[in-house]
Amino acid sequence: MSDEEHHFESKADAGASKTYPQQAGTIRKNGYIVIKGRPCKVVEVSTSKTGKHGHAKCHFVGIDIFTSKKLEDIVPSSHNCDVPHVTRTDYQLIDISEDGFVSLLTENGNTKDDLRLPTDENLLSQIKDGFGEGKDLVVSVMSAMGEEQICALKDIGPK
Amino acid sequence: MHQGYYQSMGAADMAQLQATMQAIELACNSIQMHTNPTAAEATLLSLSQSPRPYQACQFILENSQLPNARFQAAGAIRDAAIREWGFLEPNDRRGLISFCLCFIMKNANSPEGYVLVKVASVAAQLLKRGWLDFTAAEKEAFFHEVEQAVQGSHGLDVQFAGISFLESLVSEFSPSTSTAMGLPREFHEQCRISLEQDYMKAFYCWVQYAAFNVSDRIIGANSEIPEVKVCSAALRLMLQILNWDFRGKNSIENSKRGMDIFYDGMKQENDSLRRSECILVQPGPAWRDVLISSGHVGWLLNFYTALRQKFSCEGYWLDCPLAVSARKLIVQFCSLTGTIFPSDSGEMQRQHLLQMLAGIVQWIEPPDAVSKAIKSGKSESELLDGCRALMSMATVTTPLVFDELLKSLRPYGTITLLSALMCEVIKDLMENRTEEETWSWVARDILLDTWTTLLMQLDASGHKHSLPPEGISAAANLFALIVESELRAASASAFNDEDEYDYLQASIAAMDERLSSYALIARAAVGATIPLLKELFSERIMRLHQGRGTSDPTETLEELYSLLLITGHVLADEGQGETPLVPKEIESHYSNVTEVDKHPVIVLSGSIIRFAEESLDPELRRYFFSPRLMEAVVWFLARWSSTYLMPPGESGENKGGYENYNNTQHLRGQTTNALVSFFGENDQGKAVLDVIIRISLSTLVSYPGEKDLQALTCCQLLHGLVKQKNIICHLVTLDSWRDLATAFTNERVLFSLNAAHQRSLAQTLAVSASGMKTSEASNQYIKSLTSHMTSALVELSSKNDLKAIAQQPDIILLVSCLLERLRGVARASEPRTQKAIYEMGFLVMNPVLIFLQAYKDESVVVYLLLKFVTDWVDGQIIYLEAQETAAVVDFSMRLLQLYSSNNIGKISVSLSNSLRSEADAEKYKDLRALLQLLSNLCSKDLVDFASEPIETYGTNISQVVYTGLHIVTPLITMDLLKYPKLCHSYFSLLSHMLEVYPEIIAQLNVEACSHILGTLDFGLHHQDIEVVDLCLRALRALASHHYKDRGDGKVGLGSHATSYKDADGKFHEGILGQFLRSLLRLLLFEDYSTDLVSSGADALLPLILCEQSVYQNLANELIERQVNQTFRSRLTNAFQSLITSNNLSSTLDRMNYQRFRKNLLSFLIEVRGFLRTV
Repeated sequence: MSDEEHHFESKADAGASKTYPQQAGTIRKNGYIVIKGRPCKVVEVSTSKTGKHGHAKCHFVGIDIFTSKKLEDIVPSSHNCDVPHVTRTDYQLIDISEDGFVSLLTENGNTKDDLRLPTDENLLSQIKDGFGEGKDLVVSVMSAMGEEQICALKDIGPK
Repeated sequence: MHQGYYQSMGAADMAQLQATMQAIELACNSIQMHTNPTAAEATLLSLSQSPRPYQACQFILENSQLPNARFQAAGAIRDAAIREWGFLEPNDRRGLISFCLCFIMKNANSPEGYVLVKVASVAAQLLKRGWLDFTAAEKEAFFHEVEQAVQGSHGLDVQFAGISFLESLVSEFSPSTSTAMGLPREFHEQCRISLEQDYMKAFYCWVQYAAFNVSDRIIGANSEIPEVKVCSAALRLMLQILNWDFRGKNSIENSKRGMDIFYDGMKQENDSLRRSECILVQPGPAWRDVLISSGHVGWLLNFYTALRQKFSCEGYWLDCPLAVSARKLIVQFCSLTGTIFPSDSGEMQRQHLLQMLAGIVQWIEPPDAVSKAIKSGKSESELLDGCRALMSMATVTTPLVFDELLKSLRPYGTITLLSALMCEVIKDLMENRTEEETWSWVARDILLDTWTTLLMQLDASGHKHSLPPEGISAAANLFALIVESELRAASASAFNDEDEYDYLQASIAAMDERLSSYALIARAAVGATIPLLKELFSERIMRLHQGRGTSDPTETLEELYSLLLITGHVLADEGQGETPLVPKEIESHYSNVTEVDKHPVIVLSGSIIRFAEESLDPELRRYFFSPRLMEAVVWFLARWSSTYLMPPGESGENKGGYENYNNTQHLRGQTTNALVSFFGENDQGKAVLDVIIRISLSTLVSYPGEKDLQALTCCQLLHGLVKQKNIICHLVTLDSWRDLATAFTNERVLFSLNAAHQRSLAQTLAVSASGMKTSEASNQYIKSLTSHMTSALVELSSKNDLKAIAQQPDIILLVSCLLERLRGVARASEPRTQKAIYEMGFLVMNPVLIFLQAYKDESVVVYLLLKFVTDWVDGQIIYLEAQETAAVVDFSMRLLQLYSSNNIGKISVSLSNSLRSEADAEKYKDLRALLQLLSNLCSKDLVDFASEPIETYGTNISQVVYTGLHIVTPLITMDLLKYPKLCHSYFSLLSHMLEVYPEIIAQLNVEACSHILGTLDFGLHHQDIEVVDLCLRALRALASHHYKDRGDGKVGLGSHATSYKDADGKFHEGILGQFLRSLLRLLLFEDYSTDLVSSGADALLPLILCEQSVYQNLANELIERQVNQTFRSRLTNAFQSLITSNNLSSTLDRMNYQRFRKNLLSFLIEVRGFLRTV
């Protein structure tokens, strides 16, 4: 069986490409898709036909993963769509600076200081309070198409 | 007399009453003006909730000028009296009813009808409330007044009031429309029986007499007169009485014993109504004199005929209330059946129906003239009612009798009339395609139902009967017209681009009922209709080929689409899980045809299959086979092949084969007819199967992105083929099947199938392994099918840069595809292939854990991983040997732990609401899969085919599952339990665990235990009966375990069950005490279904036995809270007899549980009424 063809072989230098082509028909709800140049999470897929005896097309409703704006697109289902490469990385939180930036500890021991606190009230207060109480917090940073944002938080226990 | 009653009161009381009246009037006004409605509602509520508000209410009813206030006062009487009924004096009870009755008679001419209706319904409810206590003489007294009124001795207004009171009464006594009044079903049932037996017929005679008396004056008058109102009320009541669900004498005798107070009468009625909308009227022999021999029907028909002449007069028209009621009653008489007719082989019923038909036929004949009149503006109601009457007649007679009826009036039979009528309707539909819900739509549905009723009876009576020749040709004509209209509709809508027409599945579902009625009509005239279909089909195909390249084929494609659906329905039935047989009509009609090339069904099927085969040619595919047409082709092949392709038992030779055919019966008897053997395994069967497989492969490969088509191919066509054992063993020998398997493993394009279809395809391919000759071959086949998937996953998971590449979309797609496929294979587990499928799962155990870590933020993949493991364990667990079980259990635990450590304490936040609820839903699905996994593991303890006990390898399933629960429960928040399915899974697992292994709870730590018990308390107050029931079962298990264990001198639930004071002197109650309190509160004060009383009792008994002192305290608390002395002593006695009566002992055996159930029921009936004010 010819597994040699599978393309993960050649893309070992990951991160190089920001998006990947994928057939529209295979993109499902809860997957990702690029709509109007923005990385989105798909919240709704429906199919319809171009005329009764025409071909199927997919109607996507996506939510921008960074701005939460709703975007829509229609693509013939045998055509390709761009799918963003979305990654999440966990960092330990070391500091919150006065001007709203966080200082994070990377895996290889360096710090990463270019991220702002999230704007979401709930997450923000969780981070501030947890940090204030001296908890050990791990934040998840989601990045796609050159943008990054803190998207989740985990308390790994006070020490 | 009431006036006098007030005059005898003191002036102070009078002032008080005046004040109340003013307050209520003010409140009513302010509700109407919408100024401060809450306060006004509170005022009204306070009236009905105050003790004994009757005097004030009566005062308002008699004196208030404001109708709304009178209305509210009547409602208050009802609320208060129902609540306080138990301790009202018999005199007061009767007084309230006669007050209401007098009120409606006295105010019969009042213009505010709604007040009268309200008061009448209050009287009816109170009368019913006391029905079983009143003596016959007391009831007589009430009804004497009513009878006088209905007979008309006090004038028309009073007569109308009397009839409308009877109307309220009958509907109050009918179970589906009665008011609950907080009383058990048994009470309602007894009232119903008593009314039916003692009064119903009398009521009918009274109104019959009333209607008869006023009818002459109505006929004589030239304009609308007051009598009309009385007459239509009387007709309405007669209709209502005929609608009554008569049970007859026998059931009355059995009622006490046989009635199930938990059965829900409403539901059953709804079920039987769904199909035909025709209620059978079966009042029994006692009604023969009133309804049949009295000439009542003749009078009714004549009355309506006379009324028809008057439609030109002022005040009368086709749809005036009087005419509508009369027609409804006539239609109702058409469905009269049962023992009311003597056993004279249906002669009297035939006479009755003939009389009805003679009256009705004027409404619908001649059909073309009637239809024309409607088109030029006449009301359609007579026609529709006529159709309904035909429908009723078809329901109560056999098709032959039905057809004969008209022959004594006309030169043709009723079926011919039916066909002509329907043809007119179809013609109108063809003309007015655009509008929906026109009269012809309604008429078509009723008439189709009539045909279905007639033909289904023929169907059920075996194939010996068929319609008379005249009926057959009527059916053939009708079918030809139906097909013409459908084809015309198809070509007209070919260019429509509306979404709702787009999906085959949806359109089939919507059309299915209609199509199967069409099919019944077609099958009634097989000889004409199948050649017709063949001809239409060839014509369309020829047109397609001729116009190739020159004209747009869309209209023809749509016609073919329609034809395929119709033909599919005519030729074959839907299996609904069973193997459908060749329809009887088709089989018997052609049983003598031996030449295959002249057999119309073979010719028709053959031409469709040949047409389908053309889709394999790429060029023809591009021209003709649009995705939509292909959907119909695939659908047809699926439906057709389950009936005609290699039917089981067509030949006896394969009996000794390698597969066991014991289950296959010779369903078709000994006659091997040409049709069955032609597509059998010894003739063309294999060739056709080969074509079908090649078509399937081509639809999967050549129609990228056409999900609906692929769904039909994978889930219906292929899935249906491998369901049949006799097909499978030929399937695996075909090259085309091997091609499909090879394409599945190698073709890139099949990786872009929808996930569910990949899964289904994998499952189908794996299932076909059972057609292999040896079990080695089957296992080898599975291995070669899955090896590419497992090795790809293993290889990927061992990559050093997995973390970096895992989140690339292409890798995610690949991993999800492979997992879906593995899951499909896992779902195909069978004893025969179990080894190979176990191997498959075993190989990917490690990769699964690695991926779970790598994709912890990729919920879609996580869910797939969990589902794969769940399905795999489900298929495997019972077959596993001890060592394998140990490995699987260990793996499952690592999976659970990993999932938990990735998710616990995690807060994901998203700005968007919809994403947030998505995230919740994802979490819920994950947890549900985990709970399923635990349940699957649980089943090892119940069914186990291993050769040695699993304990030899130190596996203890109960321990494992509790550990699992321990890991999972902290993830289940109360919010997540709001998802009904998760809630169900969780509580069924929990209650199963507590029932089977209650001892483990003692070993849990305080935190885990309190979480589990917290959810149990939550479940106890859930809305879903099943969830509450599960919780009650869990409670029963817990408490009875504790009680029995303590009895044996053991720890029971240990520290969890003991109450103690902590260091701060705070009192902590043991868990059983808490649950006793909570359960008792639930039973006494909250709303719940009566179905729960028994399981409540089963939980309550052991709880009481465990915590006797808590029970006593609770009882005392409740008793002391009662101010009213009567209630106080009743409550004390009730609490006492709950635990003593019926010789209740303190053991937990079956007998004792039963006794306690009875005790609890009578306890609740005794005290719930006053403890809980509604």
